[in-house]
Amino acid sequence: MKTLAVIVAPLLLAVSSASSAQGAGKGIYDKTCSVCHATGINGAPKFGNAADWSPRIAGGAAKLYQSALAGTAKGMPAKGGNPNLSDAEVKSAVDYMLAQVSKPAKKEEATAKKDEPAPKEPAAKKDEAAVKADKPAAKEPAAKKDDAATAKAEKPAAAAAPAVAAAAAPAVAPVAAAAPPTAATGDVNAFNRLLRPMGQRNAAPTQDGIHDPANDGTQALQPPLSAFDKMPKSSAGNRVNWVQALAEKKINPRWDRADVKAEPVVMDLNIVREVKGSMPDVVYPHKQHTEWLDCSNCHPAIFVPQKGANQISMAAILLGQKCGVCHGKVAFPVSECRLCHSKKKDGTTERTAEAPAAAPAGAKK
Amino acid sequence: MRTQSGPRRAGPAFSLALAALSLALMLGGGSARAEYGDVVMNNYSDAAGMRPVVFPHWFHRVRFRCKVCHADLGFEFKAGGNKINMLKIIDGQYCGACHNGEIAWSVENCNLCHSAKPGTPTQVHESTIQKLSVPQGTK
Repeated sequence: MKTLAVIVAPLLLAVSSASSAQGAGKGIYDKTCSVCHATGINGAPKFGNAADWSPRIAGGAAKLYQSALAGTAKGMPAKGGNPNLSDAEVKSAVDYMLAQVSKPAKKEEATAKKDEPAPKEPAAKKDEAAVKADKPAAKEPAAKKDDAATAKAEKPAAAAAPAVAAAAAPAVAPVAAAAPPTAATGDVNAFNRLLRPMGQRNAAPTQDGIHDPANDGTQALQPPLSAFDKMPKSSAGNRVNWVQALAEKKINPRWDRADVKAEPVVMDLNIVREVKGSMPDVVYPHKQHTEWLDCSNCHPAIFVPQKGANQISMAAILLGQKCGVCHGKVAFPVSECRLCHSKKKDGTTERTAEAPAAAPAGAKK
Repeated sequence: MRTQSGPRRAGPAFSLALAALSLALMLGGGSARAEYGDVVMNNYSDAAGMRPVVFPHWFHRVRFRCKVCHADLGFEFKAGGNKINMLKIIDGQYCGACHNGEIAWSVENCNLCHSAKPGTPTQVHESTIQKLSVPQGTK
């Protein structure tokens, strides 16, 4: 308790000066913050629990404010998920929560160190170390339970099994979750101004323009980057090479809804389709497709299983037919020409059935 | 090994497709930045006073192969083409095959699915079709 008191003391400046805002802070806490902080779900430091708070307090009030305002990769949504709150209101709620854990220390130490600024640099490191120390412990065993928990990132599951939830929110920071991507600047001569800047890809649900940030469920949804972090990258779609991720066992999606042991029946057969124009011929690999799909997904409704029976054109694909039923919606998009058009007219194959797993076009550069 | 591509003589059909594609890619930078493949379903939601549903394809793809939903559970490959309603879900069809409190969390978590901005139309976000046919300026 004594050490906590020492750590807490510099903060009290902020806490006590904001004491007039305490009432407002409580109101905001009750309405917004308490959803997670009252019970400590999803790794949130529990209200009034000094053990949860002390490593965070060690980082200084400014850092806590920053986390509360901008959100953190660990799961704290920006402004507690309520964008209607002003910065001052968020801070007052933080102050209110801090006051609960620092109360015992308040009287003894507050006056002693009043004017000393929070020791930012070393404290920040301490905070990181503390986080590292408690994260992997929860993460390692939980990661192995992978296939047992399907909706692990989301709140109800997290409430039941906090350890599993920790696995879904890795300590490694997903960039978009931590720092909201800034809007494109108004520079008309910017390079590639029509292409989406890196920071705007894989946006967290609260910032993606489709989810309603005012919806409380939105806060509980997993940010894509926290899942994509360890997966092989590609240059289009989700920016993830799904086929490679599966081949390298970075993911282990179930083949059966309930049976975790069911294995796909993989068919390794390449179909070469000669194309009329100057583009390389198309090599269609059954292997990668049957790892994800059942024969009946494509045959016979989309593709008649007979040589020469299917008229396929890029126009049809762009309109969402044939290959375009998936490619351009969820499988890699049509911008990745050479992943399909991979067999040179003179007979060289740029990409064989095995190639995307070993060396995808995106990773070749 | 990738070799340098030879001289390209693009046929008219190919040029057309390429033009359409580059146009599509240029128009693709709309305001929404949702994940590729996110499906918004708004068959009945708006009319019922609920937020439309966002289905995150990527999230499910990490955990299930395509076949589980699209072959075993009978989801059509078409956004809004399945006429899913809560009655069917509670009855164990479609989403309800897993979202039953056993395989995944159950239906009382309304806002985890019904999470889109009200009025968002049915769509596959960032799909080729969406880029080709939705005039982005009107949003």
